[in-house]
Amino acid sequence: MSQFLQAAAYGLVQGGLLALVAVGFSLVWGILNVINLSHGALAVTGAYVAWLLNTRFGLDPFLAIPVVAVCLFALGYAIQRWLINLVINAPIFLTLLLTFGLSLVILNVLQLAFTADDRSVETAYASQSFVIGTVNIPYGRLAACLLAVAITAVLVVMMTRTRIGRAIGATGMDRGAARLMGIRARHIYALTFGIAAALAGIAGAMIATVGSFNPTTTPTQLTFDAFVISVLGGLGNMYGALVGGLVLGVAESVGGLLLTGTWVNAIAMAVLIFTLIVKPSGLLGKAQYSGRV
Amino acid sequence: MSVAGATSEELARVLHGRSRTRRELLREWIRSRTIANTWPLLLGAAGFLAMVGLQQAIEPGTQRLLASVFMFIALAQAWNIIGGYTGYASFGQVAFFGLGAYTAAVLMTNYNVSFWIAMPAAILVGIVFAVVIGVPLLRLRGHYFAIATLGAAEGAKEIVNNLTGLTGGGSGITIPTFGTNSPTPYLGKPGFYLAFLIVAAASIAIAAALARSRFGYAMIAVHQDEDAAGSVGINTTWVKVVAFAASGAIVACVGAFYGFQQIEFYPQDVFDSSFTVLMVIMVVIGGSGTVAGPLVGAVGLELLSQFLRVNLGAYNQLIFGAIIVAVVVFFPQGVVNFFRDAWQTRHLSILDNVRRYRL
Amino acid sequence: MTSAPILDVRNLSKRFGGLWALRDVTFSVSEGQILGIIGPNGAGKSTLINLITGQLRPTGGSVMIDGKDVTGLRPWAIAHSKVARTFQIVKPFRGLTVRENVAIGAMHGNDPDPTVQDALATADELLAVVGIAGHADAAPSQLSIADARRLELAKALACRARLLFLDEVMAGLRHQEIDAAVELIHRLRGAGITIVAVEHVMKAIISISDQVLVLHQGSILTMGRPREVLSDRRVIEAYLGHRYVQRRSS
Repeated sequence: MSQFLQAAAYGLVQGGLLALVAVGFSLVWGILNVINLSHGALAVTGAYVAWLLNTRFGLDPFLAIPVVAVCLFALGYAIQRWLINLVINAPIFLTLLLTFGLSLVILNVLQLAFTADDRSVETAYASQSFVIGTVNIPYGRLAACLLAVAITAVLVVMMTRTRIGRAIGATGMDRGAARLMGIRARHIYALTFGIAAALAGIAGAMIATVGSFNPTTTPTQLTFDAFVISVLGGLGNMYGALVGGLVLGVAESVGGLLLTGTWVNAIAMAVLIFTLIVKPSGLLGKAQYSGRV
Repeated sequence: MSVAGATSEELARVLHGRSRTRRELLREWIRSRTIANTWPLLLGAAGFLAMVGLQQAIEPGTQRLLASVFMFIALAQAWNIIGGYTGYASFGQVAFFGLGAYTAAVLMTNYNVSFWIAMPAAILVGIVFAVVIGVPLLRLRGHYFAIATLGAAEGAKEIVNNLTGLTGGGSGITIPTFGTNSPTPYLGKPGFYLAFLIVAAASIAIAAALARSRFGYAMIAVHQDEDAAGSVGINTTWVKVVAFAASGAIVACVGAFYGFQQIEFYPQDVFDSSFTVLMVIMVVIGGSGTVAGPLVGAVGLELLSQFLRVNLGAYNQLIFGAIIVAVVVFFPQGVVNFFRDAWQTRHLSILDNVRRYRL
Repeated sequence: MTSAPILDVRNLSKRFGGLWALRDVTFSVSEGQILGIIGPNGAGKSTLINLITGQLRPTGGSVMIDGKDVTGLRPWAIAHSKVARTFQIVKPFRGLTVRENVAIGAMHGNDPDPTVQDALATADELLAVVGIAGHADAAPSQLSIADARRLELAKALACRARLLFLDEVMAGLRHQEIDAAVELIHRLRGAGITIVAVEHVMKAIISISDQVLVLHQGSILTMGRPREVLSDRRVIEAYLGHRYVQRRSS
């Protein structure tokens, strides 16, 4: 039983972090109707930036977050404004291909620069744990999870209360109408993608503190997780991404306890397909985005 | 004729329909053949014979290279049927590839069945799998369908992985190919060259036949407007499932040959999603919804990929990714369609093309 | 000529969540008749057509076409019962030429043409009937709205239907275009096609209909000869409001 609790607690904390990975992906999918296959690559880029700052300047990864956010935001904005915007009106698999090609480029650049070795960022406090009863929660993970939740909350506020946030929402609902209202759609799209990239980067930096990463397997896993969470939580729905992240985190953690590795993936896939068929708008999905194809 | 058209009697006649016996139809077809409508067939036959002849002039190493080009031609044509014409972009076609490879391998290894029986069995497995997952999944559209098929492919891989008794699971499977143990002698590089050439030719022939037929028009109608297609009498479910099954059958056949060629492989080799990615890229770059597009895309990309791998070593994936990005940006409708449109409108401008789909 | 009606709708109902879009609609149409369906916006006219032609499944009731029960069948099955329809917002197949658009119906409808060539020839003949033969090789997006409506009609005719549903084909047309469309509809009836036309354009309804059905808030208000129906107080009230009728009569 205590094993189960431990797994559940661990899963929840991990889930908060996964949610941060997914929130940007879900936002881009919901607003731009773009499935960004390079999302994981952007996250890992953030991880490398944090790692670089840590090994060169000794900067604590949590303090490096603003730098990571700015760098990734700029990269994301540029990618959307000058690449993805060019094929936005084309059939959907073109954007899939474009982001796929992009991810190949980014990952190979990272691999050539940093080699394919696993890396991580060590901090003094990460290995210490916070203990409740029999359950053991490492500080590093807890901090990452809480920060993730906080950022998601800030994002929700930004989306609903600020002018920019509402402009983004409006462009997502009806691009033509938004443009008629004076919203510069190209800029808004780029802004949205930039925000998503920044979030991915921050998530990547956190992942660097709690585990290891590399340019070959980590990005694919992250993009896949982001995908599943977005579908579960509903496209463009930030609360949904949070809930979806927690669900996935707990499911993977508890599932790993009960089943061998390969079956867990298969079951995750089955759940995904089932959700797509039965309730494509996700567990908490908003109907306005469920019509997205 | 009045300003608004023909009379009621003429209309009634049109509405009555026309039907003829099969023999009349055949005679009509033969009489209607001209150079204008047979040149593709002649060109194809000539190309096929040329490839067969070429085999004598080149080394086994080059034959192996060309065999992989032929393989991708077949895969690209297969993807085009469901993704290009019907518009249901499946990202899980590799499932059929792996199932085809494993069906052939399992039958040959465990039951000592000849390859020439195992391969049709693989095709059958492909068709059954297509129907089983197609009926529920083809109700989804766009991105959802793409991802669901991706999920199905991963699921197929996991199942194969876990049936260790039958497939060897994670330890892979080895087909006996030499000596008295083997049910079919190994085809060797020349043999596989010919085999893949025939499969490629068959896939082009199937794609061409479908494209010009009523079924081909039905696929296009389903792609462009599924509701309108339904209301003019097209059974959209049937069209989608048949297209999916045809695509899956071809891919499974290719997979069976590939498995035989590799002799020994693991689940992740034949369920590798980069096969799917390559299929899609080849069709998109070449031009989806045409017969020539996948051909051009497959030949171009596979040759390019081999060239990069040999000459650029560590940088090859990077350049490959950059090329994908470049082609998607400059030729979003595919190279073949771009040049065809340019020919028809006598207007060739890559810069204008970049603006075609931009926001 | 059988005595059974070609279209027999009984107690047809459709509910969307808590809203009854259509409730207990019952009527029938004899072969060779033209039925006009009118009603204020939101009355359920398009829903009615969608239910009969299979785009929507009814919550209750039945639809019989030529004595055969087609309730709840998929659109293509109903199309193969010799039924065709146009869409209010035209739905051409954008990547195909105008001719090919019509040929698709000829290939896959009732008594389908055995070869693609035949279907293309049929398409040419139908394009001449509706009057856009000159645009046969054009893309649908290049057509004017009146021509786009004609294309939509030709597509439906290509299915060789005996029962044709027209969903607001006159909307947005100029006077001469409306007159031409009315003439075309008369010729369609002359060729033996039964027509059910949903319309807002009253002049057209009076010219073409043998009977007019009035829908209001999902139910039938009344049904009868065009002039009678259009001077019926309740119908005027439904369209123009209670106060208008009161002011008029006082």
